[in-house]
Amino acid sequence: MSGIEYRDRLRRQMLPHILCPGCGHGIVLKALLRAARSLELDWDRTVFVAGIGCSSRLVGYIDGCTLHTTHGRALTFATGMKLARPELTVIVITGDGDGLAIGGNHLIHAARRDVDLTCLLLNNETYGMTGGQAAPTAEPGAISTTTPRGARERSFDACALAVAAGASFVARGATSLPLELDALIARGIAHRGFSFLEIASDCPEYFGRYNELGRGPEMLQLQRRRLDGVDRTLAAKRSLRPRPAEGPPPLRTGVLHERPA
Amino acid sequence: MGARSGSVLVVGVGGQGVVLSSAVAADAARRCGFDVKQSEVHGMSQRGGVVTSHLRYGDAVRSPLIAAGEADAIVALEWSEALRALPALRPGGTLIVSVERILPPSAFLDRLHGAVRYPPIAVGLLRGTVPDVRACDATAVAARAGDRRAMNTVLLGVLSRVTPFSEPAWDDAIAANVPPKALAANRAAFAAGRDLQPDDARPALARVEPSDEGGPARRSAASLEIVDAWCKGETCAICVRSCPEYCLGFDPDAIAVRVTRADACTACGLCELLCPDFAIVVHPAVPA
Amino acid sequence: MTELLQGNRACVQAAIASGCRFFAGYPITPSSEIAESMARLLPEAGGVFMQMEDEMASLGAVLGASLAGSPAMTATSGPGFSLMQEHIGYAALAEIPCVVVDVMRGGPSTGLPTRPSQGDVMQARWGTHGDHPVVALAPASVSEIYELTSLAFALSERLRLPALVLYDEVVGHLREPVDPGSLRLSRAERRRPTVEPAAYRPYAPDADLVPPLADFGTGYRFHVTGLTHDEAGRPTEEPAVVGALHRRLQEKVARARDDVVSFAGIGLEDAEVVVVAYGIAARAAERAVTDARSRGERLGLFRPRTLWPFPDVELRAVAERAHTIVVAEMNLGQMLLEVERVVAGRARVEACLRADGTPLTPEDVAHAVASAAGALA
Repeated sequence: MSGIEYRDRLRRQMLPHILCPGCGHGIVLKALLRAARSLELDWDRTVFVAGIGCSSRLVGYIDGCTLHTTHGRALTFATGMKLARPELTVIVITGDGDGLAIGGNHLIHAARRDVDLTCLLLNNETYGMTGGQAAPTAEPGAISTTTPRGARERSFDACALAVAAGASFVARGATSLPLELDALIARGIAHRGFSFLEIASDCPEYFGRYNELGRGPEMLQLQRRRLDGVDRTLAAKRSLRPRPAEGPPPLRTGVLHERPA
Repeated sequence: MGARSGSVLVVGVGGQGVVLSSAVAADAARRCGFDVKQSEVHGMSQRGGVVTSHLRYGDAVRSPLIAAGEADAIVALEWSEALRALPALRPGGTLIVSVERILPPSAFLDRLHGAVRYPPIAVGLLRGTVPDVRACDATAVAARAGDRRAMNTVLLGVLSRVTPFSEPAWDDAIAANVPPKALAANRAAFAAGRDLQPDDARPALARVEPSDEGGPARRSAASLEIVDAWCKGETCAICVRSCPEYCLGFDPDAIAVRVTRADACTACGLCELLCPDFAIVVHPAVPA
Repeated sequence: MTELLQGNRACVQAAIASGCRFFAGYPITPSSEIAESMARLLPEAGGVFMQMEDEMASLGAVLGASLAGSPAMTATSGPGFSLMQEHIGYAALAEIPCVVVDVMRGGPSTGLPTRPSQGDVMQARWGTHGDHPVVALAPASVSEIYELTSLAFALSERLRLPALVLYDEVVGHLREPVDPGSLRLSRAERRRPTVEPAAYRPYAPDADLVPPLADFGTGYRFHVTGLTHDEAGRPTEEPAVVGALHRRLQEKVARARDDVVSFAGIGLEDAEVVVVAYGIAARAAERAVTDARSRGERLGLFRPRTLWPFPDVELRAVAERAHTIVVAEMNLGQMLLEVERVVAGRARVEACLRADGTPLTPEDVAHAVASAAGALA
């Protein structure tokens, strides 16, 4: 549409993808492929590394060098690969469970080392692949199969975590703002040093269903309202549930932190 | 199936209540003194994947699984799952089916091999191979009974006509297995199903007619390239709902989205940008 | 030139001499000298040393480096070895060459960090879930650490699998006069594809059942996954494809068996009682055996250098001649199980076990042999 062709970068024989109808992750992959094309990356020197989970399955649909690793450990494979072969552009795709729970330690150390990797963390606030359990990003009150009475723990602010751990580029994008997403991913890849992007994506099949947020179209709309600061909390989206006394601030997209590596 | 043993296969799509239905039927069997084996296979169940549950009862049941051609009854909560499960039915067996259309992920994956259309919901056609088809729009029946979500219990009501379990046993089983707040609706749904006259089937979707309003045909601002095999259809519907000009819609017998108002398209590109399935490319028209 | 070399240092020198260019590790007693020596020596050889945040990360980084074309290894001890099991399974299924050195200490759990043990030999075989091939080598001396570390690189690259080197704390910290120049280095050669990138199928095997492996970043675009996959690398649940993959993984090692399996023996030609021992326990057994033979007793030693695959055919032949096998090891009977399985009644199998954080002694072995003989008499 905007003239950026990306479909030649897809493994067509693998499509349609396994993600659920309305899942936002495909929007992110498209933005990534468009960003890569706009940067004119050398496709034979670009490697896509992922962990385990819905978001991590995205790499299987990229017609390139793709590595689908173990749960939470994609950044470790990526670190080894980048150091062994520095001329490679290494892009990691992870999710909020993969990257912040089981792989949280690897994330903070990758940020601390500031190795020249790009990490896209797709945050849909749930474990989709295993059936909608609570992720460490689930806000207080969120319903999941493992928090049937509402999550009680605090949730991670992934971007703040990455800044604190030392990442030299931190940004947040969202599937409801796909053109900004293209641009942010491109800046992240171009940045030398560890670039971390949290990308708000949606899981209508679990998170949406359990929290009565509608399906794909409705969730995209809610995401926009939250980005715009109209709805400050998850609870505000659900008239039936009480609003927690203190909710997280509205999601802010854009580059949140940048310094020379 | 009035005998002292029987096999019931319950099939459907994740979230419909296959496992609960099967558990209720198993409980009813147990309350009538039968030995029962119930096993279930959930694929990607809660993501709209396929769920099947095998229920076998008798004086002593050893094998928990129903082999091909051995089911006395199939209870199908979804139309295409009914068709898929048919080989399990024994000759002369009963097919209880709701004419629901829910696109399961397998419907997308099968399209790799060319199946891009949803099978037509045609109960009459099925009677040629399965004489005893008891079809209804269970969701509509359940809605009339008080809660559309109790559609699975409507089908249990239908099933109760072909199983030897007593009505009190069914009622106790429902009471023991469904959440208390949903009990009244489920009891009503069961009764409605038990009293149902078959053939309440109606097409689930209305056909989207292409718009032909507006005088002389305007030139489209863009042509849309839609990859039918990749589109996830009406369960996603992000493009349909985000198109500012309402240019997109669905056909009842196809899975993929269709352009229904080509002349209204402004080539804004939102559908392409937001399609999670790579299924839409907007080619802006070259100015004349 | 002969030098007084520590076992862990010999491991490092052999790895670098065999082509190792990437090491990632996490400090753990009694293997830390390997990481420390690597930190000093590997950059001088043009390689990369990384200290990672834990053992899972260490092996993950090793596998990433290996896929980029660098022969790579890590080293650890029991608790770290446990943490690495998931990635050992990943390397087995995704067929990524790597070397994992486990310097065994007393366990389970934190156990006896500074004390020797041979308690990881079954973990090496069955530690990760699922069926998978295992190559595990067990050196008993500093010079053998050198040779078997080198062999581990050769086997891991040739067979596309994780090759394990298992030795205990005593051997790891042992210093012995060694002339590395006189020791056998094995050539580590990775077979790379000869087909055009477009025709490359990363899991299509050659005649030896091992698929050639392209380096990421060299024009070959392919998918590597820990999901069960077809020859093109695509995830699959097709039973025929899944079954064939699992059988090929086992079979590629079975076909190479005779190049992999090795053992050393003393007096096996006439021994009536044979001691089976490996690692430092074999050094104690050797002393007991040579002492006994000098007294004219027909005692023998069977010392596997490969624990996995186990030298089963070879031990079975020995068991046909001997009437008693005594398994001497520093655990409560792990390889004992394998020996009993292999001997299968051909000879009596007795145990000489110690799991108290101290090495087996020649007296332990001699005593066990004597009581076995007494029980027979």
